[in-house]
Amino acid sequence: METASSTTTSNSQPIVDAQQPSTEELYPIALLMDELRHDDVASRVQAVKRLGTIAIALGHERTRNELISFLEEVIPDDEDEVIAIAAEELGKFVPYVGGPKYATLLTPVLEKIAACEEPIVREKAVDSLNIICESLDEEQIQHDFIPLIHRLAKERWFSLHIAATGLFKSVLIRVNPETRLELLKLYFELIQDDSPMVRKSAATHLPELIDLLAENFNSPDLIEEFHWDLIISMYETLVNDNQDSVKFLSIDVLISILSFLKRINETSRNEDLFKSLITLINDPSWRVRYMVADRFEKLVLNFNDKTYTLKLVPNFIALMKDNEAEVRKAVSKQLPGFCTLINEADSSIVLNEIVPVVSQLSMDESETVRSALASEVTGLAPILGKESTIEHLLPVFVEMLKDEFSEVRLNIISNLQLVNEVIGIQLLSESLLPAITALANDKLWRVRLAIIEQIPLLAEQLGVAFFDEALGQLCMEWLWDPVYSIREAAVINLQKLTEFFGEEWCKVELIKRILDKSQTKEFDNFICRITCLFAFTKLIPVLSPNVISQDIYPFIDELKDDQVPNIRFNVAKSLLLIVKKLYISEGDSSEIVLDKIKPTLEKMCTDEDVDVRYYASESLKGLEELEKS
Amino acid sequence: MDIDTDIQMEDAIDTSPSTATSTTSTKLTSLPPTLSQTSPTTQINTLDGWIEQLSQCKPLSESSIKQLCNMAIDTFKDEQNVQPVQVPVTICGDIHGQFHDLMELFKIGGPCPDTNYLFMGDYVDRGYYSVETVSYLVCMKIRYPKRITILRGNHESRQITQVYGFYDECFRKYGSANVWKIFTDLFDYFPITALVDNSIFCLHGGLSPMIESIDQVRELNRIQEVPHEGPMCDLLWSDPDDRGGWGISPRGAGFTFGQDISEQFNHTNGLSLIARAHQLVMEGYSWSHQDLVVTIFSAPNYCYRCGNQAAIMEVNENHNRDFLQYDPSIRPGEPTVTRKTPDYFL
Repeated sequence: METASSTTTSNSQPIVDAQQPSTEELYPIALLMDELRHDDVASRVQAVKRLGTIAIALGHERTRNELISFLEEVIPDDEDEVIAIAAEELGKFVPYVGGPKYATLLTPVLEKIAACEEPIVREKAVDSLNIICESLDEEQIQHDFIPLIHRLAKERWFSLHIAATGLFKSVLIRVNPETRLELLKLYFELIQDDSPMVRKSAATHLPELIDLLAENFNSPDLIEEFHWDLIISMYETLVNDNQDSVKFLSIDVLISILSFLKRINETSRNEDLFKSLITLINDPSWRVRYMVADRFEKLVLNFNDKTYTLKLVPNFIALMKDNEAEVRKAVSKQLPGFCTLINEADSSIVLNEIVPVVSQLSMDESETVRSALASEVTGLAPILGKESTIEHLLPVFVEMLKDEFSEVRLNIISNLQLVNEVIGIQLLSESLLPAITALANDKLWRVRLAIIEQIPLLAEQLGVAFFDEALGQLCMEWLWDPVYSIREAAVINLQKLTEFFGEEWCKVELIKRILDKSQTKEFDNFICRITCLFAFTKLIPVLSPNVISQDIYPFIDELKDDQVPNIRFNVAKSLLLIVKKLYISEGDSSEIVLDKIKPTLEKMCTDEDVDVRYYASESLKGLEELEKS
Repeated sequence: MDIDTDIQMEDAIDTSPSTATSTTSTKLTSLPPTLSQTSPTTQINTLDGWIEQLSQCKPLSESSIKQLCNMAIDTFKDEQNVQPVQVPVTICGDIHGQFHDLMELFKIGGPCPDTNYLFMGDYVDRGYYSVETVSYLVCMKIRYPKRITILRGNHESRQITQVYGFYDECFRKYGSANVWKIFTDLFDYFPITALVDNSIFCLHGGLSPMIESIDQVRELNRIQEVPHEGPMCDLLWSDPDDRGGWGISPRGAGFTFGQDISEQFNHTNGLSLIARAHQLVMEGYSWSHQDLVVTIFSAPNYCYRCGNQAAIMEVNENHNRDFLQYDPSIRPGEPTVTRKTPDYFL
């Protein structure tokens, strides 16, 4: 298809340049017409994707006169797939028809497409209309675009009304005050449309319109233009809608209204809005309650008033006890945000009223609720402070670490950092270490991985002595895990531990233990050997040349004749790392090793296995480059 | 795309192309795998670039696919019907376009080339990313021909892929059937069985009443569309069964075979095990015929709703076998699909 499109370009471009006779000039459009009438949908899709190319080939005038009218005739009757792409392409067409001056020529065909019942197609047409609108001047808007909106909104067919709701945002600010009032009145009609789908679409776009008005008309002299009464009537209509799928959209509208009031420092309306919010929180439909739960922090922030924050506490708690799991899940996610706000108003409430409900929620019957709670609950630690966290939250964490659903355990572990910052690692490890060691062998490998990732942090805080006693053994055991990713993480972990605890520790605790392992029967297993090799290789960058020559190199060198090619080519890779590290040092032992490595690599370049030869020659190249420099 | 009803009959009876096949395959062992006309370094760089792109689940361009499959034919045509494989190796079953789960597989078993792999077919169809999956595996095969072996499954066929998704996916992602054509032409060259250290016989489906010894498999002419019947069809379609002897397969192709058949086959050929894929098993692997046959299935939560675990089998140099089971990969931001499936679905 790509080639096909480039042929079209190369065929058509010279035709235009050379000003050939008119029969040949028709070629591209004829070709396009053919392809647009092709039996196969895929071919038609490809053809409309090239509309831009065709338009360039035709030039502005013929695009205006021929192509657009042709499309208007053909496209709206095609398959949705074809129409959608045409709609999208037409959005880029303003330059092709000769600039903004002619942009309104594009609206009739898009208007036809916008009538389409398929939402994807309609949205593409609306998007393109909005793009085109940006290039229109005020005269064009007044003369063409506003009537277009009116036509769509007044038609009998619901999908046109839906299309209309998406177009207001482009013009609302750019028109004169009378037209704006007219548009808002029209929008109010759409908010009250007979069809729930239209009301839904109007409700969805309303917050954006309110934000636009708020941004442009927030100074005292322009405040009239916000049309408070109309906006509030729209909101109230939505709150009282009999369809819950429309009603729940009013929460976002409320947020936009509150944010406007906050902006102009107006508080007199808050009481009424608060009352309507309370009705929504207690709505019989769980979808509405879910929406409130999901936006809780945002709502409270936009009220921007401590009295309301405190008044909402009982409602928040009611949502935490809601009988619909989705609601409890959504409200769990709001815990840290809302509790921070409560704490600013009254510091005793979180502990006395919220935390008891959190404990209940941590034993919720739904695993997704517990999982959501687990990912947020650690965020309460900074709010409660050290003492209360230890007394009230730690028991919750410990319980959740034992949860039968692995995601709950994982979410707690992954967020322990926050708790650490509040209570310090000492206390955290004392109270959670038993739980952590229990999870070190969790059957879900991602839980084990999350634990390993916490280890360097624990190590840094615990200090050598305590670490060796509590976790040293574990860190070695992970090296022999059946899952590769755990072994990999364990190897990286050893490198980090060496950075904290130093070389002497590494020699005694790691190198010696790995060498001991190589004396056992397990070393007959390829996976054990390659893991030891990976572990030593990973340690090279953090060890001194001395230790490398004495402890690391001999071990790696011994594996160069391993029966498994995978080991041999990894030896070839490791040797280059050793070379790089030893090259900068000057000791005698380094030189001895370097003298041995080159012949080893040269020999490996003649190995029977192609990959060993490849990696050996790559390492040899690296070595020779070092020698040169 | 008129498929070879004629070739298929030829296969069932004719064994003459055997000489041709075996000569080309002996050539393989003596020669280093020369890749193609371009210099090896450029070729390796190109392949590494493709592998990098594919590992992010971004499909290659049509022209790259063409180039890749041309290189791949060079590699595959020199492989044998019974491709010899060395231990240690990790043996895997069906993938079915579940690209992210394939990446999970490598997280569990270790990355290629550090770990050697043997895949027993069914890379395409059903899942959403057949193109990326099969492109990735073929790229790895060409880049590390000694480290990974890929066999043909019953879904690596023109007919099956037109019904179960690969054809549609190619069309959707490339706007034409060209890529489907290129890949299905390549599938004809895939080896159909592998023999791990003369001891484990690996293939997609199962045994065939027309095959008593592994040498008979070596004599087949495999480079063709999977036939509707005959030995090559059976190897890719058959299933083990609790009933003894040969039975009619409910699949409409291949046979079912009982423990007596497996015992006889393993004895005749000096095998310790037949490893095969082809059937969904809830634990990811399943023994049958008193540990003479093992089924391995590597697509977790098959079709995104079966709720099964996946497994791979590690065979080390001492012929110890370890099974690793795993669950679907976690993709942040994607809705989790319910794992509870009504019983009647299974």
